[in-house]
Formats: sequence, C-alpha cells, structure tokens
Amino acid sequence: MDRTTHILFGYVTASLMFGPTGAAQSVTRKAPTAAEWASLAKLPDFNGVWESAPGGGAVGRAGGRGDATAKGGPAPAAAGAGRAGRGGGPSLTPAYAAKARARTANPAEDAQAANCLPPGLPAIMNQPYPMEFLLTPGKVTIVIEAYTQVRHIYTDGRPLPADPNPLFYGTSVGHWEDDILVVETVGLAEVPRGLTFPYSEKLKVVERFRLTGPDTMSIETTLIDPEAFTAPYSMGTRNLARHRTWTIAEYICEENNRNFVDDKGNAGTKLSNPLSSAK
Amino acid sequence: MRNTKQAVRQAIIVVSLLAGGASLVLAHHSYSAFEMAGTRVITGTIKKMDWTNPHTWIWIDVANEQGVVETWGIEGMSPNYLERRGWSRNTIKVGDKLSITFHPLKNGDKGGSFQSAQRPNGEVLGMTPPISDK
Repeated sequence: MDRTTHILFGYVTASLMFGPTGAAQSVTRKAPTAAEWASLAKLPDFNGVWESAPGGGAVGRAGGRGDATAKGGPAPAAAGAGRAGRGGGPSLTPAYAAKARARTANPAEDAQAANCLPPGLPAIMNQPYPMEFLLTPGKVTIVIEAYTQVRHIYTDGRPLPADPNPLFYGTSVGHWEDDILVVETVGLAEVPRGLTFPYSEKLKVVERFRLTGPDTMSIETTLIDPEAFTAPYSMGTRNLARHRTWTIAEYICEENNRNFVDDKGNAGTKLSNPLSSAK
Repeated sequence: MRNTKQAVRQAIIVVSLLAGGASLVLAHHSYSAFEMAGTRVITGTIKKMDWTNPHTWIWIDVANEQGVVETWGIEGMSPNYLERRGWSRNTIKVGDKLSITFHPLKNGDKGGSFQSAQRPNGEVLGMTPPISDK
C-alpha cells in the first residue's frame, strides 16, 4: 500500500466508521492489520528521540522564552508577539489589538510553569528537553519529557471536531502530504502556551514536520485565527536533532519545585527545609 | 573507572567551554527572582545535593563574616539536562569543598542561580547558564 493509498484507506475507513457527522469521540479503534503495520515502513522515519538543535530557529526562541516570560507582554497590535518570531507577531483585529493593550497593564513576573503548570501547544514543543516520536497505525504519539506530557495525533483520517472541548494541547489530526506530516490542532483553551498575544477559541495551529537529513527534522508552525488575526501568522521553522542513544527520562515537576509565581504575579524561590527534599 | 571519570570530567569541561556562547531556551521559570546582572562567589562544604527535577539544588555550608556557618541553596539545571552533558548524581558529593559562582536572589535570601563551580584543585564545573529574561 503506497502512501496515497494509505491516506485514502484511512479516509475511507474513517468515513465508514464515523459517518457524515464526524463524531471523533465515538471512534472505535480496531486492531491494526499486518498490512497497516507494514505500511508504516514506507513513511519517513520520524521514530526516535529528538531535541531542539542548537540555534533551533525562530520558534525555538519564541515558544520557550515566551513560556517563562509573561512579562514584557505584548505591545499593541502588530508588535504583539514581542519575541514570538521574525514577523514580530500576528496582525491583530481591532478587538484583539485592544485586548493586547489591556494585557500590558500589569504583567506577571513569571508564567504559571514556575508553579509546574505545563505550557500548552505550541510552547510544549519547544522545551530544552527531548521528545520521542512514535508512529503506529493511524496515530503519531509524541512523548514529551518536559512535564511528562503526551500529544496524541490521529492520522486515521478522522476529521477535526466541529465543536471541540478547549484543552491545553487541543485536539490534533494529521495527514501526510508526500513526506511531510501536516498536523492541525483546534480546541485550544486560553492557558499559558508561550504566546504573548491574545487569540480566540477559533485558533488553529498547523505544524508541518519534515525530515531534512538522516537525523534532522524541521517543524514549521503557523497560527490561524480568523477572529483574532487578520492573516495567518507564521512562527517560522524550528530544527530538531535526533539523538539515537538517548531515551526519555522522567520529569516530575512537583518533585522538588522551589520556584513559584503568586496570585499577584510576583515570582519567588522557596529555600525552606533544604533537607526535606524528595531524595 | 578511571576512563569513565576522565570522560565525565572532559564532558563537563566541554560544557563549561560551550556555556559562554550557548543560547538556551528556558523551560521552567523566568529568572526574575534572581539578580542576573550580578554574580557572587561563596566557598564552603557541600551539605546535600538534590538530584531532582525540575532543578538540581546544591546545598552548601558557608561561614559568614562572623564565622557562623549558614546553609545556602543554589539552583542548577535539571538532572535530565545535566546527565546528557556529562554530569551524574555523584559529580558533586556531600563533603566536597567548592567555590560556587551564582546569581543571587534579589530578596537577599541565601540562595541563587548556579553559574559555575570550582574545586580546590582548579577543576571547573559548568552547566549551560540560564538566560535572563530581560
């Protein structure tokens, strides 16, 4: 089964399973066939442990810093992204430009990640920790070391949900365009996600993953929000390197977290009881 | 064993050499609680080493100007990050003598953000330094 057939098979299967309404929540997952397992070998080899390469790129600087840096905040309108990318942030609609201005009034010193709240998409894809990609029939799973997070990307042809629940990582479906894995994500709650500009519940994140060498991958991330942005906003391309000897380690943020940001937005560090640490 | 130790030491030195120009995204928190523009050096004896996420913590007993021993807490990179760059949980052990250079806490508490450390024999221990969010 070549890739086109694979995709077609997925769509046909999905349409048979879900019917015309596309109720993704009611999917019944069947045991993969030998042919479906075999067809994975024809896909680009994304499997393995990846980490942002040095000088990873535009998003590499934006997501990570923005994650931990609520302050500085958005400047009005087009400068809203601040550090968020080469383009200087999306062009905001008038209503969201006003929201951006309001947010600059009293910026917090730190993001909630200091309290161990994981950052949502796209910042979670840009931590200084590796991620493991796992390809199985009908699904790509990304195991993210930072904060011990997992992304579930369905590649079985199911449609995006029409009325998704708002979530940290949203709901993701993916498909292959030649050798590029295109992942679309909707249903993104208003949580810390490394973005220094406002967005609406219509935000869609589009990521294009492609191998650029034997052990290099690029991720091009675009944000689309017809309510908040006047045009799609490209966050640029970020590069990952595959580390074939690495495995994913545990990361329990609450284990010995001494950083915090309080409800007034003030950041601090707890030094009490140094001998009471977990280990 | 000797070779392993040498390899670790070399890796640590490489890390410290890279550290100067490295540009690292920051996962867990901003450094607004620390005085990133200034550094301070303390010398003492390791009381405890927390090899824990989301940060390692080096607890070091230091005599103040009056000769009273006080415990300082110095925050470092995570064990996950450091293990991939030559460190182990035994790189710094209880009882080790160290001089630690760090960015102090702004509020005057006895703590800070690790920059580098040096053993009495001159060996330098480096982590890729944090980036100030300023």
